[in-house]
Amino acid sequence: MKRSLLSAFVLAAATAAYAQEAPARIDLNDPNLMVVDSSVIPIPLEIFSSLDKLGTQDWSRQVESREIRLDANRSRTAMLFGLVVSDGFIAVQAQDKEAVRRIGREVLRLATSLGVANSVEQHANAIVNAAGQGDWSICRKELDKTRQTVLNKMAELRDDELVGLVSLGGWLGGTQALAAVLKQNYSVEGSDLLNQPELVKQLKSDFSTLPDRAKRGKVFGQISQTLDHLESLMRTDASGAISKGKVIEISLSTANLVDAIYEI
Amino acid sequence: MAAAFGGWLCAQEAAPPAEAPVLDEVKLIAQRAALAHLGGEKPFILRESSWSGEIEPGMAKLIQVQLFKRNDYHFWLAVPDRRGEVDVALYDGKGERVEGTRFQYESPNIASFAASAEETGLYYLRISLLDTVEKPQRWTVVYAYR
Repeated sequence: MKRSLLSAFVLAAATAAYAQEAPARIDLNDPNLMVVDSSVIPIPLEIFSSLDKLGTQDWSRQVESREIRLDANRSRTAMLFGLVVSDGFIAVQAQDKEAVRRIGREVLRLATSLGVANSVEQHANAIVNAAGQGDWSICRKELDKTRQTVLNKMAELRDDELVGLVSLGGWLGGTQALAAVLKQNYSVEGSDLLNQPELVKQLKSDFSTLPDRAKRGKVFGQISQTLDHLESLMRTDASGAISKGKVIEISLSTANLVDAIYEI
Repeated sequence: MAAAFGGWLCAQEAAPPAEAPVLDEVKLIAQRAALAHLGGEKPFILRESSWSGEIEPGMAKLIQVQLFKRNDYHFWLAVPDRRGEVDVALYDGKGERVEGTRFQYESPNIASFAASAEETGLYYLRISLLDTVEKPQRWTVVYAYR
């Protein structure tokens, strides 16, 4: 968009009074409230951004290079796709050019296996090119676009269960990295980023409603158990913190599940 | 039931494909409003994900959103009819309105709200449409963080 057009569009943007004052308080238990039956899963960078405000973290230790072996289980591939995109966000945070380039190529391979390569190719190439130039802003944007494009394409193809599994994989990868960093460099202030009980509850509930055909394979039994466990761990105590012991448990639980997804 | 999973993860995907172009158009309006806040010294980073749906004039809806302490967030709400006046506000997990900055745009069918998350946890975004239009409106919310 041309600068002049942009300026014209936001010319009237300003802090100002508004026509209808929103109430100062709402009763969240009011049965008449209309709550939108949907939400958006935060991407890892959103959480890492907060943690980095407490001091520089060593994200490079979270960048892993795993061999991805695919099988005919599309549900597992969908979770792997989510995990790999999440690895991409971690590699961007660590500013690891080679890892981001490798992940860009893996993203395309997984998208091909899921039958959505055409929609993703342009973004995957942009990730690889931007990583080569060290343009982290573009890498971040294109990773998010890749993720969203795959979700949109799958929804269009009525692959709703795969949509959910991609996002679950992405959330799991980001949570594993966050817990691992907090385990190495624990702080009470940083620990509260793992305070996500409602998110875990929703993920667990949604996973349980997936049809059996989408949960074939031993790893899918482990997902329910892990989410159950995480729901009890990922909530702050009265002091507003999550103890180091719990952070270690979250780290172990998520790492075990990630390992299980990668294993055939 | 699978649709419920998809619905939680991205509202815009829950709509029938035939309606998608209309929703995308509204998303573009919201994204265009966001552009001015994505540069400068402390730029916001716009997410690709969004929430979408339909709202009746004079009604309000709540969107659940997980926010993280120390981050700033900015939410943009748009409807297609330029006469449709909208408002957006944020509430914490106890239902208390969060202090922040509201922005108004050239036409009232776009509104945005920016605030800092004081705690990590579940928040509620309240979107509303005044009865300045007669017909229900498609709406989209996009957000950014920094």
